[in-house]
Amino acid sequence: MSATRMEGHTAMKIRTWEYFIREAVASLRHNGLMSMASVSTVALSLLILGMFLIMVLNLNNLAVALESQVQISVYLQDNLSDRDMREVGTRITKLPGVTEVTFVTKDEALERFKERLGDQQSLLAALGDTNPLPYSFEVKVDKPERVKQVAQATGQMKGVENAKFGEKVVEQLFTLTKWIRIVGLILIVFLAMAALFIIANTIRITVFARRKEIGIMKYVGATNAFIRWPFLIEGMILGFGGALIAVLLLTKAYGLLAEQVYANLVFLPLIPQYPFLIHMSVLLLVVGTAIGALGSTISLNRFMKV
Amino acid sequence: MIHMSGISKIYSNGSVALSDVSVGIEKGDFVFVVGPSGAGKSTFIKLIFREELPSSGKLTVNGRSVVDLLPAEVPYLRRGLGIVFQDYRLLPNKTVYENVAFAMEVIEAPRREIQKRVNHVLDLVGLRHKIRTYPTQLSGGEQQRVAIARAIVNSPMVVIADEPTGNLDPDTSWEIMKIFERINKVGTTIVMATHDKPVVDAMKKRVIAIEKGCIVRDQDGGAYGYED
Repeated sequence: MSATRMEGHTAMKIRTWEYFIREAVASLRHNGLMSMASVSTVALSLLILGMFLIMVLNLNNLAVALESQVQISVYLQDNLSDRDMREVGTRITKLPGVTEVTFVTKDEALERFKERLGDQQSLLAALGDTNPLPYSFEVKVDKPERVKQVAQATGQMKGVENAKFGEKVVEQLFTLTKWIRIVGLILIVFLAMAALFIIANTIRITVFARRKEIGIMKYVGATNAFIRWPFLIEGMILGFGGALIAVLLLTKAYGLLAEQVYANLVFLPLIPQYPFLIHMSVLLLVVGTAIGALGSTISLNRFMKV
Repeated sequence: MIHMSGISKIYSNGSVALSDVSVGIEKGDFVFVVGPSGAGKSTFIKLIFREELPSSGKLTVNGRSVVDLLPAEVPYLRRGLGIVFQDYRLLPNKTVYENVAFAMEVIEAPRREIQKRVNHVLDLVGLRHKIRTYPTQLSGGEQQRVAIARAIVNSPMVVIADEPTGNLDPDTSWEIMKIFERINKVGTTIVMATHDKPVVDAMKKRVIAIEKGCIVRDQDGGAYGYED
C-alpha cells in the first residue's frame, strides 16, 4: 500500500517538473520579444563583466610577472678592490627580503649591452678597446613592495655608485591594476543590478500577463510553491541563456586575442586559455542563473500575493 | 458543513460588509444568498473560500476553522471547494478540456485520473463534444458550463457560486441551474449568491437574505423577495 503510494508520488513529481518546465518554456515563447530583450541584457551585462574579469586578471597576471622580474641593479664605484666588492655583495645579501645576488663583471655587462643592441653593434666600435661599463650586482627580492626599500639601502652603501630599478613602470602598473579593479568592481555591481532589474521586470510582465491563470490556480487550490516554480524556472532560463551567449562570445574572443598575442606580442604574459576560460564560463553561468532566480523571486514577492 | 457564528467583516476603509452573522449550512444543502447590491453577499461568499478574513467571529468549513488556517493550508481548504464566478474566468489560450484538466493538474492529480474525471464532468455539463474548442468560440452559457465542470472536477464537498447567471439570458440561466441541481442531487452542497429572481422563485430552495450586513431572512423553500 505505502509502496504503491510512494511510486505514485514519485511519478507525480516528475510529471510536475515536466509541467513546470513546459509552462516556463511556453511563457518564454509567448513573451518572445521581452524574453529576447532580457537574454540580451543579461548577455551584455555578463559580457562586460567577463571582459573586465579577463582584463583585471590578465593585468594582474602581467603585474605579477613584471614584479617577479623586477630586479635592482647596483652599480659599483670604479676604484674598488676585489675585497671591497665582495664586502658590498655580502652586505646586500644580508638585507631583509633579498633572495638572490648575482655579480656582473664589466665584460658580462658589455656582452649584454651588445646583445641588446642587436644589429646595431657597430656603434660599439667607437669605444675601441675601452669598457665604460661598471661592475654591478643584480639583486632580486622576495616581494615587489621591498624593491624600493632595498634599492635605497644599497644606494647608500659605501662603494656603491648608484642603484636602479624599473621604478616608474612597476608603480604605474600597480596603480593601473588598482584602478581597473575598482572601476571593474563598480561596473560589475552596477551591471549585475541592471541585469537583475531587467529579469525582475520580465518576470513581472509574465506574472502580470498570467495573473488570471494565477488567480484560477489559487482558487482551485494550487500551492504557492506550485505557482511560483514555473516563473522561477523562466527567470533561471533567461539568466542562463544570457550567460551562455556571453560565455560563447568571450571564449571565442579570447581565443582570437590569444592567437594575436602569441603571434605578435610574445613577451605579453597572457593567461593560458585553459583552464582559465572554463573557470570563467562556469562562474558566469552560475552568476547568470543566480541573477535570473533572484530577479524572479524579487518579482514574485512584490507582484504576486502568493 | 459551513458554520458561521458572530461573523463581522469591516473593510480597511471602514465600510461594514457583515455584522454579527451566524448561520449554518449543512451537507447537501442548496442555498441562495440574496439581497440588494452591496448588502454583503459577495463578502459572505468570499469568507468561505478565505478570499477575505472576517474581522471577528468564528467560521468553520468542514469542521476546520478557516480563520486559523496558515497561509500554506489555504490551498487545501480550496481543494474541498469548487468556485464559480459570474465572469467564468476561463483561460482563453487553453481548450475546454485543458481548462478543466488544469484544476486537476495544479493539484498534481495522476494523469489517468485527470482524463477520466475531465471526460466525466464534461459529460455532466453536456460539453463532451466540445473538448477541443477554445472558450472564445463558445457562447456565454457554454463557457459557464465549462467553469462549472472545472469547479466540480476535483469532487468538492461544496460548490460556491457568485452570480453564476449574472451575464446570461433567462433560458441559458435555466440550463445552468439544472446543472447545479444535478450536482446538488449527488450530495454536493451549493451556496449561490444571485440576483436572479425567477430562478430563486421557481426553484424553492433555502434562501438567505442579507441586507446591510445582517441576515434578515433564512427560509427553506423561500422566494427571492425583492422587486429587482
